[in-house]
Amino acid sequence: MTVPQVLAEVLKDEVFFDESGGGITISGGEPLRQAVFVEALLAACKARRIRTVLDTCGFADPEVMRRVSEHVDLFLYDLKLMNSERHLLFTGVKNDLILQNLKMLAERGSAIIIRVPVIPGVNDDSDNFDALSGHLSPLGLLDIHLLPYHRLGSDKYRRLHLSSGMEGVDPPTTEQMETIAARLRRDGFHVRIGD
Amino acid sequence: MCGLETEMNERVARLRKATLETKPWLSIERAALLTDFCRQDKTVSVPIRRARAFQYLMENKEIYIGKEELIVGERGLAPKATPTFPELCCHSLADLEILHSREKISYTVDDNARQVQKNEIIPYWPGRSMRDLIFARMTPEWKSAYEAGIFTEFMEQRAPGHTVLGDVIYRKGLLDLKADIESALLRLDYFCDPQASARSDELRAMAIAADAVIRFAERHAEKAEELAAAEANPGRRAELHKIAAVCSQVPAHAPRDFWEALQSYWFTHLGVVTELNTWDSFCPGRFDQHLYPFYRKELEEGTLTRDNAKELLECLWVKFNNQPAPPKVGVTDAESATYTDFANINNGGLKPDGSDGVNDVTYLILDVIDEMRLLQPSSNLQLSKKNPDAFLKRGLEIVRQGWGQPSIFNADMVIEELLRQGKSAEDARRGGISGCVETGAFGKEAYILTGYFNLPKVLEITLNNGVDPRTGKKIGKETGDARAFSSYERLFAAFREQLHYFVDVKVRGNNVIERLYADYMPAPFLSLLVDDCIAKGKDYNGGGPKYNTTYIMGVAPATCSDSLAAIKHHVFDRKTITMDDLLESLAHDFEGREKLRLSLWNKTPKYGNDDDYADGIFVNLFDAFFDEVDGRRNTKGGCYRINYLSTTCHVYFGSLTGATPDGRRAWEPLSDGISPVQGADHKGPTAVLKSAAKMDHARTGGTLLNQKFTPRLLEGEDGLDKVAHLVRSYFRLDGHHIQFNVVTTATLRAAQADPEKYRDLIVRVAGYSDYFCDLTSALQNEIITRTEHEAFAHSM
Repeated sequence: MTVPQVLAEVLKDEVFFDESGGGITISGGEPLRQAVFVEALLAACKARRIRTVLDTCGFADPEVMRRVSEHVDLFLYDLKLMNSERHLLFTGVKNDLILQNLKMLAERGSAIIIRVPVIPGVNDDSDNFDALSGHLSPLGLLDIHLLPYHRLGSDKYRRLHLSSGMEGVDPPTTEQMETIAARLRRDGFHVRIGD
Repeated sequence: MCGLETEMNERVARLRKATLETKPWLSIERAALLTDFCRQDKTVSVPIRRARAFQYLMENKEIYIGKEELIVGERGLAPKATPTFPELCCHSLADLEILHSREKISYTVDDNARQVQKNEIIPYWPGRSMRDLIFARMTPEWKSAYEAGIFTEFMEQRAPGHTVLGDVIYRKGLLDLKADIESALLRLDYFCDPQASARSDELRAMAIAADAVIRFAERHAEKAEELAAAEANPGRRAELHKIAAVCSQVPAHAPRDFWEALQSYWFTHLGVVTELNTWDSFCPGRFDQHLYPFYRKELEEGTLTRDNAKELLECLWVKFNNQPAPPKVGVTDAESATYTDFANINNGGLKPDGSDGVNDVTYLILDVIDEMRLLQPSSNLQLSKKNPDAFLKRGLEIVRQGWGQPSIFNADMVIEELLRQGKSAEDARRGGISGCVETGAFGKEAYILTGYFNLPKVLEITLNNGVDPRTGKKIGKETGDARAFSSYERLFAAFREQLHYFVDVKVRGNNVIERLYADYMPAPFLSLLVDDCIAKGKDYNGGGPKYNTTYIMGVAPATCSDSLAAIKHHVFDRKTITMDDLLESLAHDFEGREKLRLSLWNKTPKYGNDDDYADGIFVNLFDAFFDEVDGRRNTKGGCYRINYLSTTCHVYFGSLTGATPDGRRAWEPLSDGISPVQGADHKGPTAVLKSAAKMDHARTGGTLLNQKFTPRLLEGEDGLDKVAHLVRSYFRLDGHHIQFNVVTTATLRAAQADPEKYRDLIVRVAGYSDYFCDLTSALQNEIITRTEHEAFAHSM
């Protein structure tokens, strides 16, 4: 599809955006893997005054991130693990670039909601959230969405004969989620559970 | 099941339980009294004879005052006793057995009723009932089309009604209306007005009808005093004295307080639905507007609390639910298979001066609806852009509980529709909707629905050159062999020619039936209540109302339009299927041609996806039907209009319509209202709304759009906000109406498997709600397959 084709599809819902204050959310996978297209689409939306949200894991070339941010009204920015070594272990990359981009966006004044998928045994420990709190506070990033790990994708993995690598991991309980939320709220964060 | 968390008091809870547990039964009282009267009466004037018959009924029928009731009066001997109307439709003994024993929408018929029917009723009425008069006068062309399922006929078992009360009874008592009649009689000009004598009869008939209902109320006062004298409990004794006082005041005099206003409405309602079995029973319409002045005054004076008012309203709600629709048989049962009698309470909207009409009583009534969860009355929001979001969201809180009420209307659009038809701005703002979605100027308009019209069947006849393939009978025009059509335009022209022919046939029949009702079945009591029947000295059925509109209701525009789109796309544009192949496949219900059926079903642009190709054809179809019907003159000085609703008729019409080019198999249900074909929309609710908004709703008298959601979507404040935005967006696009069925498919399947456990499960059908278990299994399946929108588009 071309950018004008996608924009035409987006504009079909303009009346609903007007009523709800909504707009377009670009998510993935990782949308910045197709940065050229995404940047063009975002720019096209802004030219028509459509509100834009970019859902990203932050692992992108800083120059790309800077350019894209010109056309983004709100970032949904994933921060999975604060410990860079553990980040490498679970995602395959270190988090240095991700944190660097986040700092850049924060300093540019972008609106950002931090999203943390809470995965028991992976990132639900207090060390992780202590580090998260300590990192975000100075940046003035106070909005956090905690997303409890779910297994809605497990059937798809099974049907594709793939391994999710998450076998045996249970979703966190409501209590566990509330405990984490309360801990972050004590540090002054606005926390929402679920997306 | 549906966990009830209500705050209704114990009295209301007991009355509610009783109305839910009592099974409808056929009461022979009215038929016997009427027949008795008609055998003896020698009155020549038809309106006066009808008025005296009505008077005889109101003076002689049993008076019922139930334990603990505050609002009193029943149409039959007791709650759920349902009278018959032999002057309209005289049931055979076989009909009674069908009513008694059919699986759905049955009415218990006891031996006494059967004996009376056999010995008293049947010997007198055949040849005299309207049904017999109507069928005897219809042409062979009309009968062929009727039997083929091209259209239905609303007036073959029920009287024209389709009207809603305005504010007259809150301003005037029946004695005041009698005074108006007296002055109208004095104004009659017997020298220059050739109609003066006829007008005199009409007016005197109205006066007799007023006396009849005054007497009916007095008899309740007497009965209440009688019961009070024998009552041991002092609390109840005081209530009975109060009931007697209320019944002595109204409806003879104008009501002075909230209680009297409700009781006055109820006697008025019973009068209308006893005089004749008017379609859509009768309705208080803009109840919150009418009741608010009484409520505010009494609250200020300290004579009423919000709880008192709520209890009285809830007692009235039970009364509505005590009156099942009159027993229907044959096609009338198939097109409207429900106990619901369509009284539809309008909430909110605008005041006559155009300002926001939402008031304290609006919210009170919404609380009542929420607590009572009854099939009847139906309820709706009249949502104007001027109404607050709080009002919409209070309504949606009820919607999300999943029992089908209230439905939501675009009040600004309703007003625009009325204005286009020539109503004054004030009359339009006093209007609203009745029945399912039908627009009307309340208190001033007779807007008569005359029958459903099967659009896909007309296409089927077109594709078969005038022949109905189900019977092999030629019922339409010879518009040419479809195989020889060189272009889509040629096909559409042939379709328009058939459409023109069948609308002609329908209207010709309507003209005859309209006059039959005007001449033989006047409604003097109803005439009292509707402007300008008194001023004109004319009956409600004879052009007395200020506005007189006649409707033909288009059914299954989506099935028809998707079928046209499939032909255009596959046969003419892409040439992937030949017309010959298509017609052969349809004739054999796609047997052995599943691949072709699937490509018609899956690989065709479909209405409901915001696709201009498909929606453009839908709009062409809309315009074609509009052009055929709108503006034709009726016999009462008014015009024909169109609307789009189907009640349960899309199932009935489907059962007579063979396979259609959209890939639908033979005899399956057609699409409902203006909703997309079941399962054809796959781009989410915003696309459905965009498609539905492309037709010009302003040129209709109502359209019906069904959307089904699972409860999850409306969870929390966020969920309410999202649906509120969705509704506001549709209305901003000038949509007329939207209703939500909030229930899971799993629940519906469970209810189908184990109906006993789900007796109280109410679902939205089409323009009204019904107990799921009372629906035929075809209709149950249809509701289950309606697209279930699991998620909003992410953009919401």
